[in-house]
Amino acid sequence: MENDDLPEERAAVRRMAILSLQAVTKEYASEGQCVRALDGVSLEVSAGEFVALVGRSGCGKSTLLHVAGAMDFPSTGLVLIGDKNTSALNDAQQTELRREKVGFVFQSFQLLHTLTVQENVELPLLLAGNPAAREAALERLHWVDLDGLGARYPHQLSGGQMQRVAIARALAHSPRILLADEPTGNLDSTTGAAILDLLVRLTRERKTATIMATHSPEAAAVCDTLVRMRDGRIEEITRR
Amino acid sequence: MPRLKLFYRLIVRPLFREPIRLALMVLAVALGVAVVLAIDLAGNAAAGSFHSSMESLAGGNDLEVVAPGGAPESVVATLAEQPHPLRITPRMEDFAVDTRTQETLSLIGLDLIAEGSRYVSESGVAAEDSRNRQTIEESIQELEDPKSIWVSPSLGVKPGDHLKLLINDAVQDCIVRGVLPQSSANESVILMDIAAAQRALNRHGRVDRILIKLPENANIEEWRKKLSELLPAGVEVRPQGAGTQENRKMLAAFRWNLRLLSYIALVVGAFLIYNTISVSVVRRRPEIGIVRAIGAGRNEVLAAFLGEAVCLGLAGALIGVPLGRIMASGAVKLMAATVDSLYVSSRPGAIGLSWSSVALALAVGVGVAVASALSPAREAMQVSLTDAMAQGRREYIAQTHKGRDLIVAAILGALGAFAARMPAFAGKPMFGYLATILLIAAAAYAMPALVNFVSQLAAQALGKLLGVEALLASRSLAASLRRTSVLVAALATAVAMMVSVGIMVGSFRQTVVAWMNDQLPADLYLRPAGDPAADRHPTISVELPGKIAALPGVAAVNRLRAYEISYNGMPATLASVDLRVLRAYRNSNFFSGRPAAQVLGQLRGQNNVIVSEPFSYKHHVKAGDTIALSLGEYRASFRIVDVYCDYASERGYILMDRDVLLKYLPDPAPTNLAVFVAPSTDVDQVRKEIQEVAAGHRILIFSDRDLRKEAVRIFDRTFAITYALEAVAVVVAVMGIAGALIALVIDRRRELGLLRFLGAATGQIRKMILVEAGLLGLLANLAGFALGYFLSLILVFVINKQSFGWTIRFHWPFAVLLGALTVVYLATVISGLYPARVAARLNPLEVIHEQ
Ligand SMILES: Nc1ncnc2c1ncn2[C@@H]1O[C@H](COP(=O)(O)OP(=O)(O)OP(=O)(O)O)[C@@H](O)[C@H]1O
Ligand SMILES: [Mg+2]
Repeated sequence: MENDDLPEERAAVRRMAILSLQAVTKEYASEGQCVRALDGVSLEVSAGEFVALVGRSGCGKSTLLHVAGAMDFPSTGLVLIGDKNTSALNDAQQTELRREKVGFVFQSFQLLHTLTVQENVELPLLLAGNPAAREAALERLHWVDLDGLGARYPHQLSGGQMQRVAIARALAHSPRILLADEPTGNLDSTTGAAILDLLVRLTRERKTATIMATHSPEAAAVCDTLVRMRDGRIEEITRR
Repeated sequence: MPRLKLFYRLIVRPLFREPIRLALMVLAVALGVAVVLAIDLAGNAAAGSFHSSMESLAGGNDLEVVAPGGAPESVVATLAEQPHPLRITPRMEDFAVDTRTQETLSLIGLDLIAEGSRYVSESGVAAEDSRNRQTIEESIQELEDPKSIWVSPSLGVKPGDHLKLLINDAVQDCIVRGVLPQSSANESVILMDIAAAQRALNRHGRVDRILIKLPENANIEEWRKKLSELLPAGVEVRPQGAGTQENRKMLAAFRWNLRLLSYIALVVGAFLIYNTISVSVVRRRPEIGIVRAIGAGRNEVLAAFLGEAVCLGLAGALIGVPLGRIMASGAVKLMAATVDSLYVSSRPGAIGLSWSSVALALAVGVGVAVASALSPAREAMQVSLTDAMAQGRREYIAQTHKGRDLIVAAILGALGAFAARMPAFAGKPMFGYLATILLIAAAAYAMPALVNFVSQLAAQALGKLLGVEALLASRSLAASLRRTSVLVAALATAVAMMVSVGIMVGSFRQTVVAWMNDQLPADLYLRPAGDPAADRHPTISVELPGKIAALPGVAAVNRLRAYEISYNGMPATLASVDLRVLRAYRNSNFFSGRPAAQVLGQLRGQNNVIVSEPFSYKHHVKAGDTIALSLGEYRASFRIVDVYCDYASERGYILMDRDVLLKYLPDPAPTNLAVFVAPSTDVDQVRKEIQEVAAGHRILIFSDRDLRKEAVRIFDRTFAITYALEAVAVVVAVMGIAGALIALVIDRRRELGLLRFLGAATGQIRKMILVEAGLLGLLANLAGFALGYFLSLILVFVINKQSFGWTIRFHWPFAVLLGALTVVYLATVISGLYPARVAARLNPLEVIHEQ
């Protein structure tokens, strides 16, 4: 799928959902009370699609991302990554799935301060036992325009740079699915916009299925699909 | 009250949030306190409240008259002729073995007829059979019957029972005539008439001790001088119980060293408390800032963290006290056996858990806790208000000054090396102890640099070898450098102690084994049955050596005789050998290096002696010096012609020619026989023949190999308690590591959760924590081994030499060390199992979004 932008191919790709949530509910039992964080959510995301997830705080965005990334599992309903039902996998298979298919980006960057920038990016590959981690990391740093900063430690970077490192790390193992939970939330608006651009660009270039939970109005403008949530339900899906 | 509430909310409650870690820390302190208390209690019971078993039935006198080998009865007569109202009690004092239990009992002979009535009326002996009153004649008959004995209630026999007693080398059938009233000391005593005792012991014409009760308000020192002038030169008049005092003094060094060893576990505990408080200060930096911002003063912050230490110390000590009491029961048996075989016959007293020792244990626990918490608590006090604003995105990394600490370490090390070269102070190796403390402190200061260096190396090497988990593990250890350093220092101290004591004991053992090989030239050795003890010298019947010498397979029999004496206020052993039956020794054991034949030749018929190394060291005498010895009623001068190595006993030995000794102490009965088998004769055959000849005598026959084995057995038993102490210190350290790893896991939970997001399997998380434990163990083993080597030099060449006077050859006990280090290493890794499980079970979703 290297030569893109033929209209029919784009359509075909869209039809081939990489990630599919089918009537997913997620309930938390906390202090005897049952909290329904997701309530019958259905969503399909395909390669190269950039999904923005918006809604008020507490509406279930993070929960949706966790469920979509096989970090958490639905109480009822199905989550399919590729053709795999995440709930049907054992712990090792779930790990395997995450290693191959999913990359996470967080609001607070979540870099390891004991590792250099490059080592942070190499980390997912090393955890997966990939021997070519070094080269891949350098390439990813190039993708996010951080060439030459690999030897620095995270605390020697700006917030925007840290988030770029985090994105490079999330893409280290070429995941099919990229999940970003308010990646611009800790950044000023200019830097935030740059990060947003970067995510869109990488989604297009790398053909990932990207879901980004966000409060930023800019995201809504650039996304392929806008998912508006409320109280654990999808209120509205806008595709363009 | 509001303060207390705050203290509870901010300090105590958080502790309970990690119950396992809290439990481990408290238990570590408890073990440290328990060991100190146990050694203190057991030491008191086995040696500290040392009370010679010969002091039974001897209360209430002022002076005692003694002479090496016994005072002649003429002395009793001289004393009795004094025109003063002195109460004179001559006594025979020896040992008998109860053949039912093989227990060694004190055998005391008193002139029952002369003072029977007084004794009976004063102490209530025979009070229980006063109802069926015997006739006076019957009573006197019983008193005169050489088979009559009176026993202490602990033997569990009643009047009329027969008791077979092994006295010297013969079993004698005795009849129990009465049971003595319960004495406070819980001793087992056999009482006989003095004449019967002399007969049974085959020591006619001499008494072992004469007790003197002076008139009321008499000046004891004046009387001591006056009576000394009356009596022959060799006879000593001294305050009653002086012998007990001497023995106590002799045991002091033994107790000192054990006590100091017992403190090591506490030192390890101190490191752990330091670490615990440091961790809680680092964790709560933002909290401290907030509390300060809303009105807490610096001193209150300081008090809060010291309070945390007090709670830990107090809780540990409260558990440590009963634990120590339990451990003391085990320790006292080991210690009593050692005291018996190395020093003096004694019976361990009851273990008394006094309020003062409880208070001491509490003070030690709390004191150590507060002392080790001081520095981190002071750091908490320094936390600035702005720390509250630091949104904890990046963890505060505790400040360390590797370079500065390394310089401090070098200075401390140099001071330690200097202290190790100082002589003993007041007979104790004070500077040796100081040197060990300085070296441990130096090692603690050098630790950050070492940890940093090694973990950097490890990150490279292990990352390649063990994968990314190892890389992460070594990075995280290096990142929390101070915490890691303290942990490593704690475990390294325990390891160092293990290594140093291991090397010391191993060297000692090797030295003893080598020495024994040179020491036993004869083929068979005989001594009376019964447990051997350093101060018990039962004799063999006089006629037996001749009979054995007449056997066809026997080339020669050497008769050895040993006496318990006191020299310069210290117990010593005086021994003689028959120099006519001299056989070549394999190697020279003499300081001069001269061959044995030459040195021993100088003793023949002369007032010359050789002395053992501990004797020479204790009394500051060397070859060429002259010493004055009391022998029976005589006092004579002897020249020391040489000093010899002797590791059999810590009490000093003086050895002379049998003929010379017999001139002063004419008792010909030997205490040991050394049999030389004729060339090309079967030793086992000769052994059988000796057994036949010796039928009727309770004699034990040992080959040289048996004796060596026996010596090694006693040696190992002696050091069993040391091993136990080491084990506790290591257990404390390993528990500390487990607790600290849990803390590390809790503090890094966000990172661990993140790793799961990045595709780490739970197995990888587990492996990472285990690699951390392994790295800690490796660092501690490395540092501990290095420190242990230097400590062992101090132990072998300074502390041991200055405490006991032995020269030990340095020897690496490779197998033991390798085994011990492996065990510690494995224990450390195993201690990581639980924290690893905690880490693997963390819910990544929960921890990733935590602030
Ligand atoms: N572990 C949990 N236990 C109980 N309830 C939970 C748990 N995690 C989330 N919830 C609840 O589920 C709901 C959805 O939470 P979620 O974190 O998905 O919201 P969000 O949309 O990401 O909010 P925000 O924009 O503030 O990040 C909330 O009401 C929250 O209280
Ligand atoms: Mg959220």
